Amino acid sequence: MTILRSRTRLRSPLPPVACAVAMAAIFAVDTLTDYAIAAAVFYTAVILAATPLLSGRAVIVLAAGCVALTLLSFFMTRGGSYEVGVINTGISIFAIAVTAYLGSRMMAAEAAAREAQDRLSRIARVTSVGALMAAIAHEINQPLAAIAASGGAGIRWLGQSPPNLERARRTLERIVDDAERASAVVGRLRSLARGEAPRREPFDLGAAVGEIIALSRDEIERAGIRLDLSIDEALPPVLADRVQIQQVVRNLVLNAVEAMAGTAAARTLAVAVACRPPQGVTLCVADTGPGLSAVAPEHLFAAFWTTKAEGLGLGLAISRTLVEANGGQIAAEAGSGGGALFRVTLPVAGGAS
Amino acid sequence: MQAAKPVVYVVDDDRSVRDALEDLLASVGIEVRTFASVRDFLDQGMAAAPGCLVLDVRMPGQGGLDFHRQMAELGLRLPTIFITGHGDIAMGVNAVKAGAIDFLAKPFRDQELIDAIQRGIALDETRRREEADAEELARRWATLNPGEQDVLRLIARGLLNKQVAGELGVSEITVKVRRGRVMRKMGARTLVDLVRMADRLHPPDGPTRER
Repeated sequence: MTILRSRTRLRSPLPPVACAVAMAAIFAVDTLTDYAIAAAVFYTAVILAATPLLSGRAVIVLAAGCVALTLLSFFMTRGGSYEVGVINTGISIFAIAVTAYLGSRMMAAEAAAREAQDRLSRIARVTSVGALMAAIAHEINQPLAAIAASGGAGIRWLGQSPPNLERARRTLERIVDDAERASAVVGRLRSLARGEAPRREPFDLGAAVGEIIALSRDEIERAGIRLDLSIDEALPPVLADRVQIQQVVRNLVLNAVEAMAGTAAARTLAVAVACRPPQGVTLCVADTGPGLSAVAPEHLFAAFWTTKAEGLGLGLAISRTLVEANGGQIAAEAGSGGGALFRVTLPVAGGAS
Repeated sequence: MQAAKPVVYVVDDDRSVRDALEDLLASVGIEVRTFASVRDFLDQGMAAAPGCLVLDVRMPGQGGLDFHRQMAELGLRLPTIFITGHGDIAMGVNAVKAGAIDFLAKPFRDQELIDAIQRGIALDETRRREEADAEELARRWATLNPGEQDVLRLIARGLLNKQVAGELGVSEITVKVRRGRVMRKMGARTLVDLVRMADRLHPPDGPTRER
């Protein structure tokens, strides 16, 4: 019922006027023609047309008005058989009543369906928020658990006599690392929640990628990965938010490093920046990890979907959001080396975009 | 009877959690082995020493709860402590009902885990000791000849020498001789000792051999 009432707010001045005109016309015809012409039946059309716009009570009032007009016509009509007039008037009134009743029932059913749908989408929203919270809690609880356990270990190493300072120092170092990991999770979530609008300016993608590779070199080497970097000379500047694109590059590089962690074969990370005239400048990040075969393509860039033990499954989702916000495209395909290949294409500055 | 040092097995997919637990247990002098997955743990095999298992609930591959259910089938009777980053009370209640020692939500207090581990190790030690005792008893029982086994069975039922003799159709002297040999072979110091051993070998309600 509440929904029905809220719909009356949609009423513009036109439909009531049209209704009144139609009713007046029907009244005139009904009154001027003889009893044999049951023009009053057409009031049902007015009721049907008006029902979606009115509350339940207003429909009843309208129907009552139509019945009153029908009766008034009956008394004012001069021509025709009185008996036929009684029958036709009766039929008209019956039809008006039935139409009003069925119309309001239909509206109530529709409202119920709409309400159910609202409830369903609300549940879906709450569930995904719940899943998000659980994922965040898990992601932060892992380093916290490690910190708590390490803290206990540190106290015990120091409590030994003589104190085992070397072990205690290593324990403290691990605590610092784990705290950084927890704060990185929070940082990642914050940048996701902020959804900052990109500040797009022309910049050299090759140089930006080079910076990230330099930053990640330590992790790449530690994982025993051979780096194959190729940046074309004289690239045109791209138009995008440099920091956001660097985040994407870092995501893709770390993703590749992690993907290769479990592979025994020769590990190679191939990063290439090249100019592909019609589309723009492309960045390719290819690994020799297990590849994408196990991953359904529709899941690859979805939030909270991951095949990795560690991680929220947000890396690729964030990457896609950022690339698309910068007018670019990101795609994944099978690499020539058997691993995965991620291709990011960004528009060239001064282009049509 | 137990010479081997207890070993704690930690199965958690998160490396920093694994490293931290290894460090924590090392700091209290407990031997630890860590594994990134159930698969790794099964591949590696277990030491012939008492121990317990610290198992993460949610892991890629086989999850902890699922593996715990499967352990009995695999003949693994390691007391298990669950740890999880998704503290869910219902899940914990079910796990403990299914025989887990404890269910700890990450982050947990170090002492909580150490206490649970020590409870688990103690339980495993008891179980192993009982099993070893039962094996030893069965071994000794096997050294008795059939006549001696009959005597032990009847004594355990509370029969006097004379009744045993009547029951077996032998002389009372023979019963006494056999009984002495039974005491010696079973390593029993007193009659009470012997009766208790007989109970452990063949529970009183169990079937007794009839003539």
